[in-house]
Parts: sequence; C-alpha cells; structure tokens
Amino acid sequence: MTMTQGLARLAAGWRGAFASFAVGAAALASAVLFATSAGAQVFETQIFDPIKRQWVNYDPKQAMKYYQAHGQTPEDFRRQVVDFRTAEKPGTVIIDGNRHFLYLVLPGFKAMRYGIGIGREGFGWAGIVEVGRKAEWPTWTPPAEMVERDPNAAKWKDGMPGGPDNPLGARAMYLYENGHDTIFRIHGTSQPWSIGLNISSGCIRMVNDEITDLYDQVEIGAKVIVLLQGAALYKGV
Amino acid sequence: MPPRKTLRLSTPLAAGLLFAAAPAIAEPVVIGVPTWPSANVTAQIIAQAAASMGVEVELLPRGTMTLLADMAEGSADVHPELWFPNLAGALERLNERGSIVVGDHGVEARQNVCVTKATAEMTGIKAVADLADPQMAVSFDSDNDGKGEIWIGAPTWSSTEIEYIRARSYGYFRTMSLVELPEEIAMAAVDVAASFGSPMVFYCYAPHHVFDLHELVVLEEPAYDPERWNLIKRADDPYWLQKSRAETAWDVSHFHVAYAKRLEEDEPEFARFLSNMALEAADITAISYAFQVEHKPAAQVASEWIARNEDRLKEWMQ
Repeated sequence: MTMTQGLARLAAGWRGAFASFAVGAAALASAVLFATSAGAQVFETQIFDPIKRQWVNYDPKQAMKYYQAHGQTPEDFRRQVVDFRTAEKPGTVIIDGNRHFLYLVLPGFKAMRYGIGIGREGFGWAGIVEVGRKAEWPTWTPPAEMVERDPNAAKWKDGMPGGPDNPLGARAMYLYENGHDTIFRIHGTSQPWSIGLNISSGCIRMVNDEITDLYDQVEIGAKVIVLLQGAALYKGV
Repeated sequence: MPPRKTLRLSTPLAAGLLFAAAPAIAEPVVIGVPTWPSANVTAQIIAQAAASMGVEVELLPRGTMTLLADMAEGSADVHPELWFPNLAGALERLNERGSIVVGDHGVEARQNVCVTKATAEMTGIKAVADLADPQMAVSFDSDNDGKGEIWIGAPTWSSTEIEYIRARSYGYFRTMSLVELPEEIAMAAVDVAASFGSPMVFYCYAPHHVFDLHELVVLEEPAYDPERWNLIKRADDPYWLQKSRAETAWDVSHFHVAYAKRLEEDEPEFARFLSNMALEAADITAISYAFQVEHKPAAQVASEWIARNEDRLKEWMQ
C-alpha cells in the first residue's frame, strides 16, 4: 500500500472528505518565529479532492487561488465544533501541527477546531506550555537574523505597529514554559490564504476572525499541548 | 529535586476514623508520587490514611525507577504502585538487603498495544506482529519517512524499556519509529486521532481511564510464554537490547504497594495497613477517571474514595 493509498483508505471514514497532512523531517533546531533554514525540508500538505476523488497537493499557489475564488479557506480549515472526548479540561488548547488543526476543548466532550498554518520547519517540538500573555493588534519585531537578510524587515527593527499589514495579525497569544517566554506564539496573519500550509512566515497562524474568536475564549494560564509532529521531532522531546 | 510536600491533614478520614494515634517519629514517612493518575491518587489515599493514624508524611513526586532506588537507599518509604513484572528485576537488584517490603495484595493489570476502533477498521490491523509489515506500518506514518510512529510510553516508565525490547523481538523496530513522550501528550494525541479519524497505535495499560473515553482495540499477540522472555536492563549491559527478547504478550501484570521495612518497627500500625491494603481494579479505574477526566484534585478524589470505603480501610488497619 502506498502512502496515498493508505490515506485514501483512511479518508473513507472521514466526515468532511478532506484532510491534510504535513510531513516534516529533522527540524529539530529550535524553530524561531519567521526563521527559515536553507537545509530544511519543505513540508507538504495534501487535500482530498472529492470531485476527482484523489489526493492533490495543497501548495501556496493553489491555496492563494482558492482564497481568491472563495474569499476564505477550504471548509475543513474553518472553525467548527467537533466531537472530542478527552481528559483535558475545557479551555485547554491542543495543537496538531501535522494536520494543521488547533483544538480548544469545550465542555461536554466537544472541541472548537480551527485551521492553522505553521512555519516552514514545522513547530519543532512537542510539549506542554501555557498562555503567558495576550495582546490585541500586537507589535511585531523581526528577529535580528531576519533584519540582517531582509531589507523589508530591517525597517521594522524597532517594532512594527499593530495593524492589518502586521504579520502577527489581530491577536497574539504568547506561549510560556515555567514562567518564561518560549518565543512561540499563536497569532493572526496578514496572509489568510496560508492556513493549512507550512510557509516561512509564521509560528502558529490563524485567520484574524478565528484568532479573535479563540483569543476571547482562552485565558492567561491556559494549558497548551503541542502534539508530536513527525517522528524525528518526537525523539527530540 | 522536586519539592517535597509535608502533609498535615484534617481529612474526612481523620474525622471519621479515630484510631489511637501513634507517637510521631522524628523523620516523616516519605511517600513517592509517580506520574500516572492512579498512583498519584493512591499516594494521597495512603497519605490521608497515615494522617488518620497520626503519622506525619511527605509527598515526593518521583519517577517509578527513581523512587525504587530512593527506597533502597532509605530516602523514600512508600511506593504506591510498584508494577510487576516491569520492576521485578530492578527490585531484585536493589533489595539485596531486604529493606523493601512488597504488599501481598496485587491489583491485576494488563499491558498491551492498542489502536482506536476506527484505526482497526481503516487499516485492518489485528495483531502486534502486523506492525512489522512495512505496508501496514506506513498507515501510521506522519513524517513521510516510510516508517510509522508508535507511542511506547513515557521516558520514566519501566515498561518503556521493555516495549523497546518487544519492538525488536516482533521486528517492528525496523518499520516503526518508537516514540517516548509524557503520557499527557500521548493521550491528547489519542483524543485528536479519535476525533479526526486518523490512525493511532500506542502502548496501553489497564486499568486506565482511556478505555472509558475511547473505543479501543487491543492488538492480538501470542499468549505470554516465559521461555520467550529474557529481559536485560539497559543499565546493566550496553548490549541489553541485542541480548533481550520478549516476543509474546506481557504476562498478566500486578501492581502492589511497597514500603520500607523500617516502618514495621517505626510505624507498625501504618506498616500493617500498607501490608493489608487491597485495592481492586475497579477502585483504580474509578479514581483514575475522577482525577484525570473529571479533573478533581488527587487529594479530593482520595478523600471521597475513603469516605465511600471506610469499612475497608478499618479492616486494613486491623
């Protein structure tokens, strides 16, 4: 059975006849917001085309085309309540970088599922952190290495004010571990077509409407579980 | 070192079971608290029972192996859930002086490899040995390296090392990546897999609340055969993996309370209680579910369980 056949078999049991998976390798180095690595493998996302009944690559070009045609992301990447039996408390966030979903645990064994985009290198680790800080229309300050190589970023070296063009989008939640900022954020985006993809810009990106919805429901101190993403990454935990 | 927590309790048990208090000893009794839910609550039950007997205790979060080593060297006194055969070898090695006593009563437990019911239906997997088939293994591949992923346990668990041996013996160490992660993350991954309908294969043990949360299928294996199990500890031999084998199902496991022999002299009433303690699988499932799924604090789960089982506790204290 090939990879595609295997996933197609799995698709038979899926409600939405749509799925994505990201495959990543060896991005063990700590992934930094907006950082890229020349050596990083490119992640791929595939979606199931219910008309052609086959798996097709979902790449930035196609994603942008879809977004231009529909003004939104594919349906399964939009927020929706799903069945979710878990031992985690309501208010807990679970991030599945492989399949580009973020779950907010709700009462009654339900969850709100949101589509996310992540960085080119994947999330880079698995673990349990918490929301340490929240900000509306946050300022974005590019990391030093990005300032060095990118003149567009360099002009914002002292911080880009919040606004629709700011890559952090409408809201940001800063992930902390043991009281310290991990440098990972869940944030909005100025590139809403990029949900479901691994592209260079962004840590955990959500469209602005959805990050705003999540932001309003998540309290500071909320537990965030980042799932394993690719076996090479699990081993680094 | 994790902080120690000294327990001075005023509990329903303390109020309800007024036994003659033993004179306080200089050193508190140190009760280890392993990471998994039932052990956490059982440690609290023991602590609250001790408090009702006037025994001062400290709760000490510890991995199971570390706790056993601490007991051997005298810096911890109680292990609430010592698993056999997982730690039989370690106990034999560490207990040459006979300073650790294992309670007579064991709770029957099972250790297996599980998939969600949806996974079994989607992939057709039936047996652990199926994982050695590369075409089956790829069903569990999330990183496109041609190998599947299987969660084999938390890094601190004694079973995890044995799951490595089993993977090698069955041959799926060649087709599957063996993933060690804390249980909370692995269980969240099971939740996501069950919600999304994606495949998931993982080490499972019962009693455990995951069987109440999800429909699981235990993968088939040949019945336990002691002739086909030979475990060498990683700590004892650099070639432990090559020299070991475990190519059948786990034996039916048991877990027991274990305690320092010194308690028989220093705290005889408490030692008698530990020796008589006889939790059942149904107790373990109930406290595990209340703690992990209903999110009650371990101390509250313990005190509620005690309130429902005062007669049994009185009997164990006789």
